[in-house]
Amino acid sequence: MLDTADSAGLSGEHEALMQFLYLAPVGLVQTDAAGDVAMLNPIAAQLLMPLSLDGSLENLFRALEGVAPELRHLCASHGAPSGKICDGHLLHLNAGKPPARAPQVLSLTLLKLDGERLMAVLSDVTEQLRRERQLRRSDAWLNAILTGIADYALVGLDADGRIRDWNPSVARLTGHGPEVAGQPCSIFHPRDAITPEHLQDRLREADADGWTLDEGRRLRADGSTFWGSAMIAPLPDRAALPGIPDSEGAAYCLILRDISDKRDAVESRRRAHFADYLTGLANRRAFFEAAGLELERSLAAPRPTALVVIDADHFKTINDSHGHPGGDAVLQHLAGLMLQAFREVDMVARIGGEEFAVLLPSTGIDQALEAAERLRALVAGTPALFDGAAIGYTISAGVAVAPDGAGGIDGLMRQADRALYAAKRAGRNRVEYARPAPAEALRKLEAVNAR
Amino acid sequence: MTASQITFGMADLAARLDACSPDELDALEFGVIGFDADTNVALYNAFESQAAGLSPQRVLGQPLFTNVAPCMNNFMVAQRFDDARDDGTVLDATIDYVLTLRMRPIKVALRLLARPNGRFRYVLVERQAPRA
Repeated sequence: MLDTADSAGLSGEHEALMQFLYLAPVGLVQTDAAGDVAMLNPIAAQLLMPLSLDGSLENLFRALEGVAPELRHLCASHGAPSGKICDGHLLHLNAGKPPARAPQVLSLTLLKLDGERLMAVLSDVTEQLRRERQLRRSDAWLNAILTGIADYALVGLDADGRIRDWNPSVARLTGHGPEVAGQPCSIFHPRDAITPEHLQDRLREADADGWTLDEGRRLRADGSTFWGSAMIAPLPDRAALPGIPDSEGAAYCLILRDISDKRDAVESRRRAHFADYLTGLANRRAFFEAAGLELERSLAAPRPTALVVIDADHFKTINDSHGHPGGDAVLQHLAGLMLQAFREVDMVARIGGEEFAVLLPSTGIDQALEAAERLRALVAGTPALFDGAAIGYTISAGVAVAPDGAGGIDGLMRQADRALYAAKRAGRNRVEYARPAPAEALRKLEAVNAR
Repeated sequence: MTASQITFGMADLAARLDACSPDELDALEFGVIGFDADTNVALYNAFESQAAGLSPQRVLGQPLFTNVAPCMNNFMVAQRFDDARDDGTVLDATIDYVLTLRMRPIKVALRLLARPNGRFRYVLVERQAPRA
């Protein structure tokens, strides 16, 4: 039995605890095994409300469905009776320019307490990630200078990125002989893995930043590939005479290294952050980062960029009749066909549950429609195999092209989504394209979306 | 006009609330949070105090969007007050929202009120099923 003083003390403590939770600077959510929210604190609501498609926070998985379709699967497939399901899982939120105050990346940690309860911790890590990205760039730079010094090719490039002079280091690393002189240095890339415009982008970046570095698959003369790290830097003489490229000397140097032995580590980091767990395609975060960058670059050096958004038709019915594992098999199958239908330079990504997107650099409407149609026909003629059964399915696709980078990925995505909607409405198993909206209509649309 | 005649949805509400005494605000059937130009909470009525489980003395004088209702510190709520202040315009908007009253997700309607020369700015909270 409590006397009055004790009871007043208890209720004071209760209130203080309540305020402690109200003010905790991270989002805390407790749910049942199906994600139904039992309790959450205000920061959780602050972070989740702008993401919730239906304006409700009754279920955590549903609130996060648009940005993390994998959560339900992650939790369901966690075998242990308790423990961490994910730790600092990154959720990439906004496609392009976010509204003011809106975080761009959330970190999610999920803890399974027992068969009935999950705890989630959410925090806004946008600023932290920006700092980390800068650090990673510096790391890559140091790696490039300090490691594997014996194993590199050093090549002079002219102002357009063509190989100026051959030397034995080129033969040692790539097997190419003196005949490579005069060829663009994109010959070290696999076919279709780089466009001429991309090469020019890299040269411009080298001019602006003093250097540019990237990693990826590279090609030897005999057709075999290795994992390479390539740095291009403008040569000092050229820097001393801006605007007057020295016609005798090289304008840039390219340092190409074989880092295949380090590839596993790099690749596993890349997969953890940038790959979709189910299909192995790029995830939403990787897609919007790469697409944003591509459109920014195409603003500097105008060229068309195409976007194809793809949606599996009647996917809910597939899930209902074959179960979620059957649905997953279809998504994996579709991912494989997409990789067949598009080029290596095209960014193929899963951006939602059954939603996919492909960004096609330096591509006009005819070529993009052709590629989308190729995929549509391929899918319609190739059923997925699951559990001994063939699951036939179709896709609808919307295609849009940005003549230059103006409007950003958000604008392009809206147009492609409208075309996709038209394809669905016209009966599915179709490809539709968006005619560029008149500027006035676009502004009105943006005003509506901003409200 | 007596407080009992004031309803969540009525027109010209900011001016009416500016004229209410604390007792009159306490008699209202919806939550009233009034805050000043620096976003510090100046009014916190009995309905809201009861719903959130916080007594007014823990809340009054505290910055609203960081120390009292951080769940509203996003572009859906806080940003609209900022925008109205920056543009010198009237804000009167009602939105569906979810508050975390006593850590339970509760569907509410929020009415956001600000006037360029008003005494206070207001967030009003009505517990209800979302409007269709």
